[in-house]
Amino acid sequence: MPPIGVDEWVARSGERTEGHAGPLAPVLRRLERIPPWAWLAIAAGAAALFPLLTDSAFALRVGVNALLLAMLALGLNVVVGWAGLLDLGYIAFYGFGAYAFALVSSDQLGEDGVHLPAWISIPAIMVAAAVLGLLLGLPSRRLVGDYLAIVTLFFGQVFVELVVNLDRVRLPGADEPISLTGGPNGIPGVDPISVLGTEIITPRGYFYLLLVLTVLLMAGLHLLDRSRTGRAWRAVREDALAASFMTIPVNGVKLMAFAFGAAIAALAGSVFAAVQAGVFPQSFETPFLILIYAALILGGAGSIAGAVLGAVVVSVTLELLRDPDQASVLFYGVVLLTLVARLRPWKLLAAVLGATVALGLVTHGAAGAISPDLTAGEPALGGWTGGALDAWLVLPENAATAGNWAFVALVCGVLATTLLAPRLRPLAIVPLVYVAAFAWEARLVGQPAITRQLLLGALLVVMMTWRAHGLLGSRRVEVL
Amino acid sequence: MDFFVQQVVNGLTLGGVYALIALGYSLVYGVLKLLNFAHGDVYMVGAFIGFGVLTAFGGPASLAAPVPLVLLAMFVAAALGSGVLGVVIERFAYRPLRDATRIAPLITALGVSFFLQNAVLLLLGADVRTYDTSAFIPVTTAVDVGPLSISLVRILVIVAAAALMVALARLVGRTKLGRAMRAVAFDREAAQMMGVDIDRTIVATFFIGSALAGVAGVLVGLVFLQVSHLMGFIAGLKGFTAAVIGGIGSVPGAMLGGLLIGMAESFTAAYISSTFQNLIVFGILITVMLVRPVGLLGTPELNKV
Amino acid sequence: MNRHLIAALLTTAAFALLAAGCGGDDEEGGGGGGASDGAAACAGTIGVMAPLTGDAAEQGLEQLHFAELAVDRFNQENGTQLKVEQGDTQLDPGQASTVAQQFISNEGILGIVGPAGSSEVEAIGALIERATLAAVSASATGAELTNGDYPTFSRVVPPDSVQGPTDADYIAQQLDAQKVFVIDDQTSYSTGIAESLIESLEEQGVETSRDSVNQDATDFSALVSRIGADIDVVFLPWQLAANAQLFGRQMAEQGKEATIFGSDGLFSPDDFSIDGSYVSSFAPDITQVPDAAEVVEAFRNEYGEFGTFGPPAHAAATVLATAINAACEGGEASREAVVEQIPSTSIEPSILGQPITFTESGDLEGATFFVFQVTDGKFELVEQ
Repeated sequence: MPPIGVDEWVARSGERTEGHAGPLAPVLRRLERIPPWAWLAIAAGAAALFPLLTDSAFALRVGVNALLLAMLALGLNVVVGWAGLLDLGYIAFYGFGAYAFALVSSDQLGEDGVHLPAWISIPAIMVAAAVLGLLLGLPSRRLVGDYLAIVTLFFGQVFVELVVNLDRVRLPGADEPISLTGGPNGIPGVDPISVLGTEIITPRGYFYLLLVLTVLLMAGLHLLDRSRTGRAWRAVREDALAASFMTIPVNGVKLMAFAFGAAIAALAGSVFAAVQAGVFPQSFETPFLILIYAALILGGAGSIAGAVLGAVVVSVTLELLRDPDQASVLFYGVVLLTLVARLRPWKLLAAVLGATVALGLVTHGAAGAISPDLTAGEPALGGWTGGALDAWLVLPENAATAGNWAFVALVCGVLATTLLAPRLRPLAIVPLVYVAAFAWEARLVGQPAITRQLLLGALLVVMMTWRAHGLLGSRRVEVL
Repeated sequence: MDFFVQQVVNGLTLGGVYALIALGYSLVYGVLKLLNFAHGDVYMVGAFIGFGVLTAFGGPASLAAPVPLVLLAMFVAAALGSGVLGVVIERFAYRPLRDATRIAPLITALGVSFFLQNAVLLLLGADVRTYDTSAFIPVTTAVDVGPLSISLVRILVIVAAAALMVALARLVGRTKLGRAMRAVAFDREAAQMMGVDIDRTIVATFFIGSALAGVAGVLVGLVFLQVSHLMGFIAGLKGFTAAVIGGIGSVPGAMLGGLLIGMAESFTAAYISSTFQNLIVFGILITVMLVRPVGLLGTPELNKV
Repeated sequence: MNRHLIAALLTTAAFALLAAGCGGDDEEGGGGGGASDGAAACAGTIGVMAPLTGDAAEQGLEQLHFAELAVDRFNQENGTQLKVEQGDTQLDPGQASTVAQQFISNEGILGIVGPAGSSEVEAIGALIERATLAAVSASATGAELTNGDYPTFSRVVPPDSVQGPTDADYIAQQLDAQKVFVIDDQTSYSTGIAESLIESLEEQGVETSRDSVNQDATDFSALVSRIGADIDVVFLPWQLAANAQLFGRQMAEQGKEATIFGSDGLFSPDDFSIDGSYVSSFAPDITQVPDAAEVVEAFRNEYGEFGTFGPPAHAAATVLATAINAACEGGEASREAVVEQIPSTSIEPSILGQPITFTESGDLEGATFFVFQVTDGKFELVEQ
């Protein structure tokens, strides 16, 4: 049940008193007084240090990807978080921006192509995307949010198809069909962006460019949030009918949200095209949309900092999960943290951990006695932790099939445990942890690609059912 | 003329499948006002279950039991399996969010869909499974209707889809459960106060909707032969669109929407080009949304203040 | 509350120590049983870039498994200690770029098998050139990839510019076709071959018509019904053989008599078996190649059946392993040395039934296409 009150201030009073108990209270109160501008400056400063700390192009590329995702999450936040509209075709605007930029910055159109400088083309593309957003939002005039979801979802699908098929366009009066979008091959050879005369071609350069853009965007959105438009969006989100009685032009406000979101996505798309030096249709498919949503939900829909935080966490986590070693660290770390966070009296926590270790050692001993084959395998982690795991976990050499069963058992077990009475849960958790470790080592760690996607889906489900407002979002309150 | 009739048959087959999927969406939307994105993946699981049963009976080439019995077993197993899966999804992913914002369960549904697809990829691999129907129902076994011969498999699909739709219409219209479903769809709180068990009704709705999707999965396997972990997404999208075009929340609407989309796709591919199938369907969707936003047979949602 | 906080902090600290201690360092040579005798065994890692999830997961996983098999066998035969690291690209050039950067940053990686798609090669070509990292692809067939832009890139499969004309010649001359209907599946592999074929056919005076379907489509009935009675050959340069099987069935259902001619994507005897159709492939059926028998059996035992995208990955991995081994000095090889070795690497016999050597531009030397006809569910070679 969400907290109830006669107005929002009253309903949120519980949250305000909550934060002021415990040993960290004075610190928290100080922190609350720091204005958002200072926070932004601190965060931006820290981020600016990042490229100086590492030389690895991979890490910088991950940083670039994270910032692109952050911009997309910020744009989606306007549409979904602030205006409460469900836009499932958001990625089409991203693609529109990328393709539009590619068309005017490469050899695709005409003999030598059109090569507009970025400072002309990008604002024009943003405006065009805003118009496109308006057009897409028009049918939403009479639509409840769910219908909008369907229309936008289909739009997203259709965009990719259009782009893939526009490589044989017959213009009236032309002999040969021209390739507008390069079809499935995309448009290679896109110019880099030049700022003040210098071309940006390294990941480090693009990282800084994106950082500046993101900071500007965050500042702009913060101002927007506190303006009349922002308030109008909040009102429409909470109760569109009441908002319309308060003379808020509901349809106009919704269309504005669409337009803003689209423009931001187009900006991100243009930079993406420059970073990649090309555009390809495969980049704009639905799994990426789910990624943007995951970032926004995790961070907290409705919160600017949340969108960026969620994007960074999701990007970095997904990249870490590519490498089995780091993925294992992440996995075991998350399991431990969950236990620590959810098992309240810490004697209980100690008991559960102790029982799990004991269970493991006993099972390992028994299995080893039955047959050495059963424990011949090795965990993915190296070093002494790997050795400890090896002594604890029963892991045969080729355990893929057993791993499959363990995975199914794990999912069922987790679901079942949520149904148990709180007193019985620790009993179920002990074997469940063991099964989880087994499923991980036997099957999941060997398939990092699939495991990443599984974790993404699970993240969405868990976040929404447990903490729908995300890390930095504010809880929904019921105003009566 | 033959060509035209051929397209009608194609359209009916496709439309029947879409209609079955659309029905599941409509039913769930009616009672929960939730667009269940995971529905397409439940359909995919149903298709895999059907394939599993087929293999258990000895595979397409050498069946250990008579064909009608095997078919029945496939349908029943898929319906039960999908139904249970749907109920589990409702219980763990949607029930906690019943009082949350409209967006929350939609996003959870996206997460569930993604998880299911990849779980099947992990457990069963990426290989496409083939039903190879012609091994036990020869392609050339056809029924001659006038100048045209329609293959038996397609007739099976059309008849099965029609039968299920009729059964569902009776269920919703005449039985106690159907009345409960309609009551919950109309006003959940009032229904609760009238003594309708909300949880049980919702569970039953999910079960029925998901079971229909499972059967649709088997039918698709029989006609279109292939089953893969990605088939749910596009079919779900189309079924979704069908439900909306026909009027979401309305059972006859879902049927009409499904048929309409099936026909549109067939005729577009036949007379224009198959490149534009999806574009045309989108065009129909937009047109219907602009002209009659509640769908062709939908009832306008009353805004109670 | 207090103790809770301390517990959480301690866990986080332990976590951080773990990460510092374990994450990041590559362990060369497997644990246990390492051969450290006089001549240090050559060690290194081969990165495999393929679509391991997403639409093309089936082909990508097949490539990965074949590559792993190849490296295992090479290690056994040559006493090396080479490892395989996978990178999922989902056929998305953006992800390919990120994975390429990851491989480049990982110093143990001395060569890449892949990427699988032509667009991906374009996305990473400049990157791997700057990093002097060799890439040997098993399925990127875009003709322009070997025009000199990407000096560290080579491939063990012939480009579209060879398959198109070969198929066109067969269709025009051997099958005497007058009208051909070309249907692509909207992937770059497909459109590349389609265009190359149509160009060649039109030069020989054959009439062509064209359409395209989405890879996700499951129903081709409407499209099939458009195949006129005067169409002699339907050309399907598709990636998914199962789709083509369905297409063929629906053709039979509607009584269409045109012959199906497929590109190497259809070369999958389990998935595609329409009697009387033709399939072209750049290699003879490896199940008929005596040198490949062991590999076929090993793969079947562990993973099951396979199509046409997998075996070249085996060849590519073997090429890289051979090059690394040749470039190895004192147990280690450098990327530059590997890049230098590849052009002179020659694998004979290879599982593809022909010796593998490279031309100057990185293409396979002497690449030809073989045409097979499906008879009784089996693929039989009809032309060399």
